[in-house]
Amino acid sequence: MIDCDVHCAPASLETLAPYLSDYWREYTATAGIRLVGMANAYPPGAPTSGEAVPSDYDTLCKRVLETDSPRHVVLNCLTICEAHRNPYYQAALASALNDWMRDEFLARDSRLRASMVVSTVDPDDAVAEVERLGDDPRFVQILLPIRTDAPYGNRRYHRLFAAAEEHNLALGLHAWGRAGHAPTTSGYTLSYLEDYVSNQTIAQTHVVSLVSEGVFDRMPDLRVALMECGFAWLPALLWRFDKDWKGVWREVPWVKERPSVYVRRHVRATTAPTHLPTDQPAHVRELIDMVGAELLMHASDYPHNHGASAGALYELLTETAREDVRDANAAAFYGLDPAPGGEVR
Amino acid sequence: MSVVQTTPETPTEVPRSVSLVDCDIHPTLTHPELLKRIAGRWRRHLERFGRRTPMITEFYPRTANAGFRLDSWPEAPGGFPGSDLGLLRTQLLDEFGIDYGILNCLGLLSCHEVPALAAEITRVLNDWMLEWMDEEPRLVGALVVPYEYPDLAVREIERRASDPRWVQVILPDSAEDPLGSRKYWPIYEAAVAHGLPVAVHTAGYWPHLDTGWPSYYLEEHVANSMRMQSQLTNFICEGTFDALPGLRLVVTEAGVSWSAPLAWSLDSAWELLRDDSPPIDRRPSEIVREHVWFTTQPIEEPDDPSEFAQVVQHAGLDDRLLFATDYPHWDFDSPTQALPRSLSDQQRHKILAGNACALYGLPLSARA
Repeated sequence: MIDCDVHCAPASLETLAPYLSDYWREYTATAGIRLVGMANAYPPGAPTSGEAVPSDYDTLCKRVLETDSPRHVVLNCLTICEAHRNPYYQAALASALNDWMRDEFLARDSRLRASMVVSTVDPDDAVAEVERLGDDPRFVQILLPIRTDAPYGNRRYHRLFAAAEEHNLALGLHAWGRAGHAPTTSGYTLSYLEDYVSNQTIAQTHVVSLVSEGVFDRMPDLRVALMECGFAWLPALLWRFDKDWKGVWREVPWVKERPSVYVRRHVRATTAPTHLPTDQPAHVRELIDMVGAELLMHASDYPHNHGASAGALYELLTETAREDVRDANAAAFYGLDPAPGGEVR
Repeated sequence: MSVVQTTPETPTEVPRSVSLVDCDIHPTLTHPELLKRIAGRWRRHLERFGRRTPMITEFYPRTANAGFRLDSWPEAPGGFPGSDLGLLRTQLLDEFGIDYGILNCLGLLSCHEVPALAAEITRVLNDWMLEWMDEEPRLVGALVVPYEYPDLAVREIERRASDPRWVQVILPDSAEDPLGSRKYWPIYEAAVAHGLPVAVHTAGYWPHLDTGWPSYYLEEHVANSMRMQSQLTNFICEGTFDALPGLRLVVTEAGVSWSAPLAWSLDSAWELLRDDSPPIDRRPSEIVREHVWFTTQPIEEPDDPSEFAQVVQHAGLDDRLLFATDYPHWDFDSPTQALPRSLSDQQRHKILAGNACALYGLPLSARA
């Protein structure tokens, strides 16, 4: 089994001190900057947040590696979203987080892989980080939080994606991200429930943007993982997207195939949150057929808790599909060794 | 994959006189015509300063014919698609034998003006639609209201609602505040008090951007469905339907097929977070099922048409789908061709007329 979304985060900035320059150590100390564990996205008391995010290898071992026995785990550190808008600080924090992940996790267990964190405000800084670490095969993708300044298909990101493609890194679009904009197109959300559910809507904007801006045509080897964004919305989105493209394709001549063809070729989604009913198996089975189990990759999303429906999903899959979702789809996507006895499809 | 039908069909009583209702027709009052109908200082204001808010079409130009059916441009100079009642009658009402068509005028939905001017534009648009309805009894209307000023909006509803030809109130899908917020509740209360559903139509000026501006009209057009998903989520999460049990919401031109997945995710999240959310005392999917209708255009077209029938069943939408053409826009859905062939005759009948008759109290002659 490959677990495509497990969280880790430094407990405090002190942990990162060895990886920050004197300037940033002093800057963060005098400014009183503290890490708050993405409290807006994961309020510590909310049942969806689960227990504290692992901040060291031993904890990760105890809670994930020893309990679930995954072949591989992809670590996601969202701490970068706590950086303020100073681009130099973003870049410094990204490098510090990557170096910390290498020392604390990647160097200590060959099962571990990670998403490389990069500046989310300056693509040039992000490219520089990819150039610095891109040859380390333990980084399998670039972490891109979905709440950001521009949809990810925007041309400003293309040089980053070219670097990703060159270094065989996928793009890992993950729920949440930068606070500041209204989180939805409706405006500010008053309830956590609304904010939480909105990740699934926001993710759709990026899927549409990546295809519409011709990213997959320019970079035919680029792969995108949607993490913690759901997947049940895909069929409705793709039906509409295909239909609209048929009407206005002249506007985007670089989109040469139906949008759904690009999405099915380049995009995968993790299984957490599943957010499907547990009492309507026939409907869920039909939906999974529409989505296509080949697009799904298993994730525990540890330590977050999205309820019981992930288990229900696996009960509805055929045995082959279950194995693909649990392991083979991710193995092929990230270029990881096939499971013993399995084959990469 | 076919699944045994478990939900019993509940036939809607459809008056035999009504076989086709178009729930989304866009009339246009051109700017010169609008100016002619406004006197005094507000006319001077419009002539000197124009309107304050850019139209979303300026951001995302439509790729051909300004986004309209090529044949919908009137021959008379100065005409605009949807500005000529005669043409609308020939091309739409007569052509397809439409019994009732709802005028959804978008003329105020993309602008934010000072209160008095917003109220003035509203008055002109509603008066003008009444002229059309006087001349063409097959047309009924959606009341345009100055929605950013709920007190003025309520006044407009109170002033007009006794005329049964106003069958709903219309709002855009993006506004200053999320549409479920308390600010707009007085509008909904007035609509409920007068038995009027509230249509939310894709329009507005995008004051909020979750993740920044897209680049292309293709993205904007697909995003119509996402914006409506956000608004519906907001109506649920702010407890708007619980506060206003009589509120009937008509999701217009935003798609249909996302309904079940959205409701499922809300259900699932609500199970976990119900203690932390505003009082929502039952599953969000039940609330959607009870309070929300969906117009069909632009209807989703899966390669396998049976999948459309499946999503209708997943969301329990048999009684909630309302046919719409979106005349005169480019992505017009034809009453004779648009509905997926996977739907049963009974479903088609409900979608084409029965559900609209039940929702809007048609035919008007059947009303007390």
